[in-house]
Amino acid sequence: MNCPRLKDWLEERYDLEGMKRLAKGKLIPEHRYDLWYYTGGITLFLFILQFVTGMLLALYYVPHIDFAHKSIIEIVTKLNLGWFFRSLHHWGAQLSIVFLFIHLFGTLLMKSYRKPREFVWVTGFILLGISIFFGLSGYLLLWDERAFAAVRVATGGAGAFPVIGGFIKAFLRGSIDVTGDTLLRFYAFHVAILPIITLGLVGLHILLVQYHGMSVPLSLQGEKKREVPFFPNVFYQDLSIWLVVTGVLVTLAVLLPPEIGIKADPLAPPPENVKPEWYFLFLMETLKLFPGSILGMNGETIAIMLVAGAILFFFLIPFFDQKSARGEKSPLFTWIGVIYLLYFLIMTAVGYLS
Amino acid sequence: MRRLSSVKGFLSRVFPGRLVLLIAALLLLSGTAAAAPAPPAEKIAVFPTAPYYIYIVYESLIIFWIAILGLLVIIHMKLREIERVQEMGVDKEDQDAPLLQ
Repeated sequence: MNCPRLKDWLEERYDLEGMKRLAKGKLIPEHRYDLWYYTGGITLFLFILQFVTGMLLALYYVPHIDFAHKSIIEIVTKLNLGWFFRSLHHWGAQLSIVFLFIHLFGTLLMKSYRKPREFVWVTGFILLGISIFFGLSGYLLLWDERAFAAVRVATGGAGAFPVIGGFIKAFLRGSIDVTGDTLLRFYAFHVAILPIITLGLVGLHILLVQYHGMSVPLSLQGEKKREVPFFPNVFYQDLSIWLVVTGVLVTLAVLLPPEIGIKADPLAPPPENVKPEWYFLFLMETLKLFPGSILGMNGETIAIMLVAGAILFFFLIPFFDQKSARGEKSPLFTWIGVIYLLYFLIMTAVGYLS
Repeated sequence: MRRLSSVKGFLSRVFPGRLVLLIAALLLLSGTAAAAPAPPAEKIAVFPTAPYYIYIVYESLIIFWIAILGLLVIIHMKLREIERVQEMGVDKEDQDAPLLQ
């Protein structure tokens, strides 16, 4: 479609040619690990899909303990394609977190966090934390017995954190237990607070990536590489991958629509073998490893502190890995990355199969 | 004693032995039924249930994949063409090219 008048109208107001030159001038290095570059784009694409499907669902969802469960049943059973958009939102969330983890471990193992890209890592890591909280808050909105029990356990676990645990628990629940206040609070987080923070952080993350350019793995830094323009070469490849991801997402949404359980009853005993979402399974299995009491101290508190310490160390890796910052190989941090990845995978598998 | 035996006689006349056993069994059964877990609630349909709609959904999924594959082929062809032009160096603007008025 060629609209010269519209083009001229825009040209008079904005420097379109300059923008085009900027997009064409951005070069992406081509090498054997460049497939990892696409994981960030896929995550961004899934985030956009989540925003769109979430907005559609928000038009019909009622955040009240008496109507939340019913409104979801109505979305699924009465609205045209309501089941499909809910399923799309559910699977979009799962895939977003899968690709976030792939992106995270890819960045870690290729040492893309090294100087001067520390803040790219920091913003990405915070985005991962926010995405997990997105998952937890969205899970409760269903208000069925499994979601209720899982959120009760998760917020209770946060309460075991020393000193500030009680505050975190009360802040998350908005009450002494998981109640209608928690539902409303999680709804506010899910549809307003977290999206705003996410938008800001995604903008900053992308801006930092544009500012620093694409990172090249240390092992390939000396080699002569071919560079291709982002637009149109990489953009078209991105587009192809997004199309495939859309196909996979739609297929999952059609073939495996998520179930809706029985409405949550705060007075009923929790259902048997209740499990959190898959990305919390490693945490649940870790907590199971610890006895109730260690040297007179609460075992759960010690477990939570150790996990928090491990996550904090993971978060601060770019500041600890000085060898990578100097442009030298640092096998120690590669091994640390591999251990973290294996632990996460094994514990998630154990939690899923138990 | 006499009063007690008369009550017994009255009960045995009104409720014969077998009937008492039957009532007791019924009470026991109803008690067990009350204590037993409730039957599983009906599953909420999260997918269209009418065969016609199920057919439409699966058909649409197949068409969707065909469209995706078609688009992938078009994008790939376009990309190859762009790369061919870039390799020839035709895409670069010649600064010294004379302007045609």
